Amino acid sequence: MKEHKLMRSAILLFWTLFWGLSVMDKIIPDVQHLWVGKDFFALFVKFFASLGLQDPLYATIALAGVSGLEALNFTMYGAALWALMQGNGAKSEAWFFRGIFTSMGLFSLFSIADQVFGDRFQLLEHGLFWVVLLCSWILFKFFASETERTLSLGATKWALVTGLCLTLAATWSIRNFSQSTFDVGTKPVLGEEVVNGIWKFDFPFLADKVVWERTVNAFVEDHPELEVTYIYTGPSELNSKKKTHLLLYVFTQAKSTY
Amino acid sequence: MDTSTSPISSSTHWIQEGILAYWTLFWLLNVMDKVIGGAHFLWVGRDRFAQFQKYFESAGLESPWVADAGLVVAAALEVFALVFCTGAWYHFRSHREEEARSWFLVGILLTLGTFTFFSIGDHWFGDRFELLEHTLFWFIAAVSWVTFIQLEHVELPSIFHRIPTGPMSIAIALILVTSASIFSYNESGFVKRTAALEAVKVGDHLYKVSFPFLGGSTVFEETLRQFQENHPDEFIDHIYTVPKPLRLKKADALIFYISTDDTQ
Repeated sequence: MKEHKLMRSAILLFWTLFWGLSVMDKIIPDVQHLWVGKDFFALFVKFFASLGLQDPLYATIALAGVSGLEALNFTMYGAALWALMQGNGAKSEAWFFRGIFTSMGLFSLFSIADQVFGDRFQLLEHGLFWVVLLCSWILFKFFASETERTLSLGATKWALVTGLCLTLAATWSIRNFSQSTFDVGTKPVLGEEVVNGIWKFDFPFLADKVVWERTVNAFVEDHPELEVTYIYTGPSELNSKKKTHLLLYVFTQAKSTY
Repeated sequence: MDTSTSPISSSTHWIQEGILAYWTLFWLLNVMDKVIGGAHFLWVGRDRFAQFQKYFESAGLESPWVADAGLVVAAALEVFALVFCTGAWYHFRSHREEEARSWFLVGILLTLGTFTFFSIGDHWFGDRFELLEHTLFWFIAAVSWVTFIQLEHVELPSIFHRIPTGPMSIAIALILVTSASIFSYNESGFVKRTAALEAVKVGDHLYKVSFPFLGGSTVFEETLRQFQENHPDEFIDHIYTVPKPLRLKKADALIFYISTDDTQ
């Protein structure tokens, strides 16, 4: 297969999926079974409310407009990918240009909104997507002028064998780790009395609200002589960077003295 | 002094090799992270299993098999990207430019595929920050490939044996000053990693504790221990952490207030 066609396909596949999934996220509202996505409606309502436009109609119209543009983008990238698969490079390039042009327009609109609503982080995010789109177009055009070079890998048997062996090793390790740690997502965490009457609970990454409830209940059951007076969630500054997930401190007093 | 020069290698070659080394190490460490699993002595890494498990659980897929399967697909893509990038580097060092180019192309395609796979997940699970991160890596991979093949036609200036002594002397002096400053700060500042802090009384039964940037859970616990010792007639009723918007940007680290009541 030609080098430039492979790279062009990879670019088109990425952007087609990007816009296709963005459209799906708009079609499927809120969190559903098998789909989480992002609640853009709530985001838009909050943005417009911060401007003093409380009527949800404004957010609805804006979101419908954005979704329409995203659907248009998806169609164009899909058409570009289809044309490339059919071997029609010129047609693919034309559709890709249309897609890039409208996508950059959409991110420009987002950036205007970010400035109006004062969201500088989203402005950076949209600015970066905008520049990646622009560069994707430049790369796509660059590959068109490349020679008709084809892949010449030579002997790949050892690469495949090594790859398979490493994949098997990684699979074994993943399964092993999964089996040994899955329980921590359900089991109560054991506390340690770090100061007189103050217990520390170091929550693992897999823990969630259910683990929190089980931990507190188990602690109360194991220490009938103690009364929980206060629970303090350690802020992230107390964590030793990536190694600690969540610290919880439970303050207690002996029942008789409280 | 620094006028005599003797070229040893084209810098084009060095940059190409740098690109291959970067992606080989990038995937090698990613694969290592998958194989090691969890935080250990000398390796923290990222708990991808927990991340995948939480993602799939949020979509209603609670079985660990689903997270495992997702992680295995990601690991397989990463492993093959590693193998092909390593192969490209090996061919490059053996002066087989054609093979190096083809192997690196496959490595880059697998890299692009891996980040495309991740960005599907980011859309699915609504993680927009990770979507930006993966899109940027996807972009860096594509640009790496273009730079690599463009350098085949470019003759950059060569690297010289002799390095000018003037700038080197300045650099060495700066390194010495910086190192001295860091070691000196270590002598006076490292104690902040564990030492208890003073709780300053700011109101009736209200005390303020200002953390240094080095402070962590040990400092917090030591501070509470010291507080209990210094105030035996009071018990901690509540701790209020000052939220970030109320702090003075970078000048303030963690600040919390201890609210107390009299021991009965």
